[in-house]
Order: sequence, then structure tokens, then C-alpha cells
Amino acid sequence: MPHGELPPGIERVLFTEEQIAARIREVGGEISERFAGRPCLKLIGVLKGSVFFLTELSRQIRIPVKIDFLAISSFSSKPGAPGLVRIAKDLDDPIHDEDVLLVEDIVDTGFTLRYLLRTLAGRGPNSLAVCTFLDRTSKRIVQAPVDFRCFEIPDRFVIGYGLDHHQLYRNLPYVAVLKPDSQRS
Amino acid sequence: MLTVTGQVGCRAEEVARIAAARLGFPLVTESRLEAAIAEEFAPAIPDKAYRDVLTSILARLAAEQHIVVSADGVELLTSHFPGALRVLIVAPERVRVGQILLEQRCERADAARQLKERETRRQQLRRRRFGRSAAPLETFDLVLNAESLDAEQMAALIERAVALRGFHEPALLSAEAEAQLQFQLRLRLARHGITPTGAPSLRQKMFAHPSEEIFANLLDYYRIPWEYEPRSFPIEWDSQGRVTLAFTPDFYLPEVDLYVELTTMKQSLVTKKNRKVKRLRELYPGIQIQVFYQKDFENLVFKYGLAERLTPA
Repeated sequence: MPHGELPPGIERVLFTEEQIAARIREVGGEISERFAGRPCLKLIGVLKGSVFFLTELSRQIRIPVKIDFLAISSFSSKPGAPGLVRIAKDLDDPIHDEDVLLVEDIVDTGFTLRYLLRTLAGRGPNSLAVCTFLDRTSKRIVQAPVDFRCFEIPDRFVIGYGLDHHQLYRNLPYVAVLKPDSQRS
Repeated sequence: MLTVTGQVGCRAEEVARIAAARLGFPLVTESRLEAAIAEEFAPAIPDKAYRDVLTSILARLAAEQHIVVSADGVELLTSHFPGALRVLIVAPERVRVGQILLEQRCERADAARQLKERETRRQQLRRRRFGRSAAPLETFDLVLNAESLDAEQMAALIERAVALRGFHEPALLSAEAEAQLQFQLRLRLARHGITPTGAPSLRQKMFAHPSEEIFANLLDYYRIPWEYEPRSFPIEWDSQGRVTLAFTPDFYLPEVDLYVELTTMKQSLVTKKNRKVKRLRELYPGIQIQVFYQKDFENLVFKYGLAERLTPA
């Protein structure tokens, strides 16, 4: 076992630290090729899950990059919670005329990505592409375009490398499957 | 009647959807109107008869209840709906180009060209169906700019405009006025050989299962247009050609042209439903349908924290 004893609640490691590093290098290369010749690429990370991935990905891109972040509200049935998804933390700078790469930790139903893309598209970027760390295509309901992906994953609940369960496990250097029992806790 | 239409690439339907939810009025979309036309008249209507068919359906619906309509050209039917509030959504070209850029996965120059092509096609279709390509600006009661206002802000302004106009106070289109209008329209449609075969209603259906309501809530939250059980597909016939079995998927997502069936039931019934879905796919290969099984739904409930909304069946 490359990581010693696994923390409680984890069933198995899905992608090791080494596999992740190697794959992000490859994807960083693909992105560099696609955007070669452009003056700059703006990476937009979706808080909080994409922070770890965006950090490593940006190091593997060989053209100039700028970085910005946004966050969206989470669904909640609590009184006073917004009834519609909305931007909870907006970008610091405009994206007009820029080549934009939206960086996600995971895409599954496509709900969030669709909303974000529609929002960003209205701000006049020169181009708009999507890179996701994990892609669970089997869960897709709304087709959303993904230009770059590191890993396609099975229909299991995964944590680590930015992905959380009740805000925990984000700092794991690998991606792991959470035990079904732990999901309900 | 409240109409919400807009320039190409303005997402007028999204604004209409939010406004309808805030007002508690049913939303009539382009796809819903198409389904109503197919059900009441015929799947294909000649362009020259389209205006009368559309007016006939909207007159009946507007006589039943207040409605929000977001369908291309509806604002051109001004003379028959004098009490209507007409809203136009506009945006600078660069904002609208952005929407095309997203849909088509292309770059700005190409998106700008496609926007022009769509505008031209829309103008041509409107000219054929309604006799004019655009409504004069003074047709509209409210013009909103999607560059400076987001969809929620626009919906809030529409809600306020409805309140100021006293939309809740006056009567709906009267039964007499509707009957007179329908008589005139049916006479004109008869010249095209078109007679209605049914009269579909927009009255809201109750959800058959709590899981369906939860799913609808989730779609609403992410601003994804949906329709509940809008269409039944015949899948078995007897020797006389009469339909003996039909399948009605739970949801239709018009924006992605996808039917969704939720199956949160025991395995014996799932097997029966799987057979229906298989048959549907064989008979209607152009139909996209996704089945959500108990486990898929539980994962959704878990992921989006909807558990507290799930009341026991």
C-alpha cells in the first residue's frame, strides 16, 4: 500500500499520487498545445474542490496563465437558502476577449457546469473551454462539453485531491473511494 | 398573459421560467406549444396557418388561467390579447455571441457569423408564419437588458411590473371573447383543412411520487427547463391497430431533448419498466431517454443534500 494505513472510512485508493501527477502532466501538455500562440490563458477554478488540481495543472501549462476563482451556492432546503443556483463568489476580473479554461474538480450530472458555462459565456470571452480532474460520464443528465479530462471514474463516491465529504479529506494526495457506510454518516 | 421573448442568444426562456415560478403562473414554452399543436391539430402545420393555430391554443389557455409564454413570435399576436404584458429581453451582440460560442464550442468570429445566420433564419420563419419579421419596439411594455441584469433581476422586475399592472386583479380572457375568437379562427383554419382533434390543458399534474418532486426541485435550482409527463408513447397495439400499451416518461428536458424516467421501486417492477424502455428505444430510435434507478437517485439525494426533502411515500 503506497500510502500506509488508509484513514477510516476509505475503501480503497482509486488513483495514486504518482498516477495523478503523471496524468496532469499529460493534460497540461495537451492544453499547452491547444492554446499555443495565444498571449495568455485564464484558468478559472471553481471553489473549493478544484484548488489542488488547478494549482498543479497551472504548473504543467507551458504558456502564460492567469488565475481567478469563483464559487457557486449549494443547494439547501434550509429556510432562507437561495431557491436558485447563483454565484456566491464572483471573479475578481472581467474575462472579455480572453481565452478561458474553466477548471473543475469533478463533472457528473452536468448541472453545475452548464450553469457556470452559460454565465461565463455571457461575459464575452474569446473562447471558453473546460478541463475537469474527474469525469463521471455515467451520471450525466445534462450534456456539458468537457474539452480536457484527467480521469473518467466509475459510479462511486470519491474523495481526496480536493474532493470532500462534509468538507473533510480534501488534503489527501490521492483519490479514494469512500465506504458506503461512511457516506451516510 | 405575459409574454417574454428576446433577441437570439438572450436566454429569454430562462427569464420566463424564473418569472413564472415567482408569479405562480404556468409557463408555456416553445416545446410545450409544439406538443399542444401536435395534440390538438396536427404534428405539422403549414406556415400560413401557424398564426391562427397558435392564437387558438393561447386563447384557450389564457381563458383558463394567467400564463407566461416564451415562444418565438408570440409578441406578434398583439391584437387578440389586449391585456397582455409584453417583455422583450435584449443584449449587446458580444453577450449574445457568447451564448453561441458556448453552444457550438467555437471561437468568437465563428460564433458571430452563426448568430447572424440564426437571426436571418428566425426573421425568415417569422415572416412566413406571422407576416412580419419583427415587432416594433413600441409593442413591448418592458424592455430589459441582459448585459446589466441577470436572469433573477429581470424576473424580479417582471414580477413588479405584473403587480403594478394589477395582473392578479382583472379577469382572464372572458369565455365569450374566447368562444368568439375560436369560432373565427376555426373558420380560417378549415380553409387549410385543419380541424382540432383534442383540447390539451396546461393544468398542473400532481407528481406521482415524492422522488419526482425532489427531482423537479433540483432541476429548478439549476435552472434547467423541464416538463412533467408531457408525452405518452404507444408501444403496443392490438390487431385492429388500437393502442394497448403506452409509456409516459416522467420528465422531458427540452433544452437537451432528453426524457428522464425515475425508477425508485422494487426490482420486479423495475424489470417490467426496463422492458418498456427497451421497446420505446426500438420503436422511437430518435428519442433520448435516461433511466434513473433507486441507487442513482439515492446518490443524487446524497450528493445534493436533499434527504430532508424526501417525505415517506
